[in-house]
Amino acid sequence: MSEQKYADDVLGSSFKKIELMLQADYGISKHSIGSLLLQGDDEIISLVKLKDPENFSKIMEAVNFAKSSYNDPLSYIIAIQNQGKANYIIERAMEYGPSKGISYREKISKVMIDPLTGIPIMLLVLYYGIYKFVGDFGAGVLVNFIENGIFIKYINPLVIKIFIKIIPWEVLRSLFTGEYGIITLGVRYAVALIFPIVTTFFIAFAVIEDSGYLPRLALLIDRLFKKIGLSGRAVIPMVLGLGCDTMATMVTRTLPTKRERLIATILLALAVPCSAQLGVILSLLEGNPKGLWVWVGVITLVFVFVGFVSSKILPGEGPSFYMEVPPLRLPKLSNVFLKTWTRVKWYFIEILPVFILVSVFIWIGQLTGIFNFLTMLLTYPIRWIGLPDKTAVAFLFGFFRRDYGAGGLYDIKKAGLFTGNQLVVACITLTLFLPCVAQFLMNIKERGWRAAVGISVFVLFFSFSVGYLVNLAFNTFGINL
Amino acid sequence: MNILEKLINILKPDKACSSCPQAKFGACQKLAASLEGIKKIAVVGSPNVGKSMTFNCLTGAYANVSNYPGTTVEVFRGKTILNGEEFEIIDTPGMYSLMPISEEERVARNILLNEKPIIVLHVVDAKNLERMLPFTLQLIEAGLPVILVLNIMDEAERLGIKINIEAMQHELKVPVVATVSARGEGIDILKGKMEEYVRTKICG
Repeated sequence: MSEQKYADDVLGSSFKKIELMLQADYGISKHSIGSLLLQGDDEIISLVKLKDPENFSKIMEAVNFAKSSYNDPLSYIIAIQNQGKANYIIERAMEYGPSKGISYREKISKVMIDPLTGIPIMLLVLYYGIYKFVGDFGAGVLVNFIENGIFIKYINPLVIKIFIKIIPWEVLRSLFTGEYGIITLGVRYAVALIFPIVTTFFIAFAVIEDSGYLPRLALLIDRLFKKIGLSGRAVIPMVLGLGCDTMATMVTRTLPTKRERLIATILLALAVPCSAQLGVILSLLEGNPKGLWVWVGVITLVFVFVGFVSSKILPGEGPSFYMEVPPLRLPKLSNVFLKTWTRVKWYFIEILPVFILVSVFIWIGQLTGIFNFLTMLLTYPIRWIGLPDKTAVAFLFGFFRRDYGAGGLYDIKKAGLFTGNQLVVACITLTLFLPCVAQFLMNIKERGWRAAVGISVFVLFFSFSVGYLVNLAFNTFGINL
Repeated sequence: MNILEKLINILKPDKACSSCPQAKFGACQKLAASLEGIKKIAVVGSPNVGKSMTFNCLTGAYANVSNYPGTTVEVFRGKTILNGEEFEIIDTPGMYSLMPISEEERVARNILLNEKPIIVLHVVDAKNLERMLPFTLQLIEAGLPVILVLNIMDEAERLGIKINIEAMQHELKVPVVATVSARGEGIDILKGKMEEYVRTKICG
């Protein structure tokens, strides 16, 4: 690099002084380390303390002297100087000509951000993207076809026939083809129920994200989110959570403050259903539009309420919002498919072993009587929120995975064991119910043991309390859905 | 295994670096193939400028690409071949400057500080050069081996922005390449510059 001259100001001479005192190897130039010190970078300050302990106090003296010599923060002054250099280069190397037809994109972009037009657009996107495409097409048409047209008609009878021939022992056979068998339950849930739902969701989501709509949605919802202690930035992990909460919990890293990350993690664990769960719930409440609205209303209320309360309880300053808004683009089909494919693959690799493992656990549990004991234990809170005993099994599934639990409800509904009210209460409680094992592990990884366990305990009690309240409200006001 | 082979290559004085096509560079490469093993190339830049796309183009691997900032929160690593030698390419989370604000930016900076990359590809959005160039200057000032990648050139051109690459190179004194990574345009030129850079850097 060229020699730079700072000699005639305090900042320049401070740079020189500090650079001379830095002795260790930092991987980047001493000038840069000095610059970061002057800008008050805590991480670098501790690094210098560690690597240059003899000179540390003198270095900090020089830093503080420079700081005290200016009215503005040094980070501001350095940034201005840097921008000046950048502008100098740009003047020499860049030219602006007339632009060619990009303004219509700007117009669409504005329409998406303006609340007056933006909220209807958001509702349209949700209705067609999620409700129609994922709910009706994925969870309705496709699930029906694979479940009834393929599994119940051909695969299940065939598999049962084969296993009767090769495994003569009833007990061992039930591991594969029993009520909770690996093939009749585990593989069927994964392939017939979850696969079509998740695939349609990931397609819809890939189109939405590649178009550049999400950051605009973030701007649109920023004001509401600020009220619950989150910035518009948090919209992205939340919307991503509708795909997979585990993935979304990882993305909370993009939030700038610890407090925001914690609030977002709580909301993801509690009130954001993942795509598989969402799909199954949409198909459960199919033909019961009032029930669906109650479900949407309660979940939204819980989301806003818990966000609001936790932002009041958790200490820390409110969030600030800045975000790069990328241009609107027409999604590239190949990228949409590639992305859907990698996500579905990732999802499948993650869930299939879990589903099979659950079947094995239940099988062992049934043999030893633990399964019946646990279901019996769970029937107490289940009865408390007014649901039939059989639902306990679905909630037991819910301990492993959200979608698995919702799948359990699907079977109970098919057996005709739910009244309209019970179905809605079950859906609400199960949506709020515990995060799946993978998400729990992610919570531990991202937020630590104590927070993760704390969140789970809170969610467990909170979900049943809400279920109880909703049931109570139904009974008191004589509502029948 | 790879490290071991390289060690053996260093210890055998007459055997030229087997993976090196240019025999005259063999000696330099041997010298450079340090005990740390594979050399690294870091891809850095602000969120949503096409770092992951560039990474995908260079490695042929797949990192998830989205049209919103902050998609890459984990560090992706892939391999690419330059001058017949294998290099590790690191796709980093987005960062706006050397002063980190969020967790992901910290992760990205630590890669620059600790992994001693042989090349740092600074990918920028050519439409927003005013905002992105200060970070380029910071990286150069930090003594890092920067190549500036002006990405999303197609949209910049549509906006009527013309960038004189030669003048840019002259001012910055680092290689500058224009690309449209979403369509794979300019990647071959970038690779060429990277190969040239590696050669001159190792052999002086």
